[in-house]
Amino acid sequence: MKILYLIKKEFLEIFRQRELLFMMLIAPVFQLILLGYIVTTDIKNVPVGIIDLSTGTSTSRIINRIAGSGLFDIKNISRVNRDSVNELKKGDVKAIIVFRDPVKTGRSIPRYPEIQILLDGADSNSSGIAAGYFNGIIKNYILDDIESLGIAPIVKSKPLIRFNPELRSINYMGPGIVAVLLTIITLFITSLSIVREKEQQTIDTLLISRLRPYEIYIGKALPMGIVGLLNMCIGVLVAVLWFDIPVRGNLFYLLLSAIIYLMAILSYGMLISIFSSSQQQSLFYSWFSIITFILLSGLFTPLENIPVGLKWLVKINPLSYLVKIIREIFLKGNGIEQFYGDLLSLGLIAFVISSISIFNFKKFISK
Amino acid sequence: MKGIKPVTRKELYHIFRDPKSLIIIFLMPVIMIFLYGYAISFDLNNINIGILDYSGSEISGKFIGKFLHNDYFTRVGLKSGEHQSLGTYEKKLKAGEIDEIIIIPSDFSKKVRSGIPVEVGFVIDGSDSNTANIIYQYNEMVIFDFLEEYQNIRDIFKVNTKIYFNPELKSAYFFIPGLIAVLLLMISALLTSLSISREKESGSIDLIFISPVKSYEIIIGKTIAYVFVAFAVESIILLFSKFWFGIPIKGNLLVLFGFSLIYIFTGLSLGIMISITTPDQKTSMLGTLLVTMLPSIMLSGFIFPLTSLAEPLRLISNIIPATYFLKIIRGVVLKGASVSDFLFNGLILLLMSVILIFLAVRKFSRMRRIAG
Repeated sequence: MKILYLIKKEFLEIFRQRELLFMMLIAPVFQLILLGYIVTTDIKNVPVGIIDLSTGTSTSRIINRIAGSGLFDIKNISRVNRDSVNELKKGDVKAIIVFRDPVKTGRSIPRYPEIQILLDGADSNSSGIAAGYFNGIIKNYILDDIESLGIAPIVKSKPLIRFNPELRSINYMGPGIVAVLLTIITLFITSLSIVREKEQQTIDTLLISRLRPYEIYIGKALPMGIVGLLNMCIGVLVAVLWFDIPVRGNLFYLLLSAIIYLMAILSYGMLISIFSSSQQQSLFYSWFSIITFILLSGLFTPLENIPVGLKWLVKINPLSYLVKIIREIFLKGNGIEQFYGDLLSLGLIAFVISSISIFNFKKFISK
Repeated sequence: MKGIKPVTRKELYHIFRDPKSLIIIFLMPVIMIFLYGYAISFDLNNINIGILDYSGSEISGKFIGKFLHNDYFTRVGLKSGEHQSLGTYEKKLKAGEIDEIIIIPSDFSKKVRSGIPVEVGFVIDGSDSNTANIIYQYNEMVIFDFLEEYQNIRDIFKVNTKIYFNPELKSAYFFIPGLIAVLLLMISALLTSLSISREKESGSIDLIFISPVKSYEIIIGKTIAYVFVAFAVESIILLFSKFWFGIPIKGNLLVLFGFSLIYIFTGLSLGIMISITTPDQKTSMLGTLLVTMLPSIMLSGFIFPLTSLAEPLRLISNIIPATYFLKIIRGVVLKGASVSDFLFNGLILLLMSVILIFLAVRKFSRMRRIAG
């Protein structure tokens, strides 16, 4: 039971510093709330400029629809042509929509103007989405217009949205962020645990103590595991109480997955700590790892697009499994029968990392 | 001012004494750019669909064909033993094997033939609201396509799209310059974030306190040492992006470097400010990450466009250095913008650095007085 003393010492070290305690427990809550608001922003208010050189009546009705959609923010409308490329270059508008009269083909007054949309491709994502919105508005306009002439479109879609009927993005992002909360603090602090004692030379005291290697290992990792789980609980509470995210599945599976995940992350942190010779180094290693984990986890961007040659990086990224499982538990209410494959893979990763980590720790101790 | 040079020299000595850290600093950004240049993309180009065709007619076949000929949709068939029923597909939807179920009613062909409007059901996995929205839009696009052909409303209206600066809408062109901005700030801040707190932890800070060097000389001297490092890092990642990913640098490279120098200085001053405020290395690191990582990724316009943010968040984005530099680097690299387009952004960054350095020096001298 000597191990308890080490755990107590580790906790004391955490509680001794108010700044650290704040960063570990309070800051994640702020981050979650802040992130919750940011990542749920759908692209809207795309700033656009309009050049209207047409004479027909359709144009003003189309412009009204654009303005009324809430998706665009019309910065200016001019009746004369102007240097649009330069305007895009400055970045004040993301798109310029030009309405012209079509070249007369001898028939009566044209019903619709000719439309050109000039996009700032630099922001490829919002530009693509904005163009999609725009095309949607135009299509609806035509369909309504034709309907007023007595031609109803024969096929209509009747969409039915499952799992997240109001299409709230927070329902999707919130659980993912909870997974990230489990990662950042835990990895950082464990990655410092050994190296800090190396740097301050207190490691020798620990080594000559009667503690066995595995006791030191667990004594160092366990407190951070508890802090991580605490973070997650706070995260889940914020998600449910503040953001009103539904929990349809069994939270026990969440706890189980979190513990397996923590085994992977904590051993990884220990591994970093063993290999670094200064706190600075371990900081850089864990910083790099965390960003990689997050960006390759499917949290922000769909994973389908990752080229086949790099797919294995997602497969060995423990966070990608946790994000997937946590989302399924929250939104779809899936049970173990749906995600046992992911859980097994996560377990395998945890097993491999901890084995490597413990092996190296023993080697380090015996030196 | 003559105290600055020896402090810088000492700090540089410190940097080069630890080649392992130095290698990480140079290598990691390159690896990151490499990874993300390939891996990050918002484009959704594969929607898995299950199709329940109760009509089973020639027209419904054509309707389905419109979906399958579209590059975005991939039909997921049934495995042996699975029933062709809504329940089966709902299960697949739940397991995430498909993103959408298309249900064509049995009277589809009869109604279409006689011109009576018919509804086609689309059951969409809404977990990811963004994806669901895109799927919805693609559905509408395909239906419109079908209508054009069947109701002869083809060609009455065309939208002509012209894309500037990045005609193929490559995500990498958008992400990589942004990533450079985010990485540069984080690296700069991390570099200096330990410089004071390390001395606090090891106790060598007392030696600095009693040295004849003035406080501002210490702060500025330490900062300058890291300017070299950060600047070298930037050059490397810029060259790598240009030659590996073929990111065109349309603007003037000198303009970009000029602005980067200011930006790097902002990051370094931020780091040193944090280093002075925190008691030890652990806290400085966490503090730096808290202040730089998530805000620079989330609130700078790197991923999420600022115009879509809620008002209070947009206000916060105004105090994040990356916000300003992101505009500059995207403008110069992708659009070939000139100095005059971004004078304001550069000035703000400069102002931020001056304020941070000023605060850092004040705080440092107070610490020194108390210690003395």
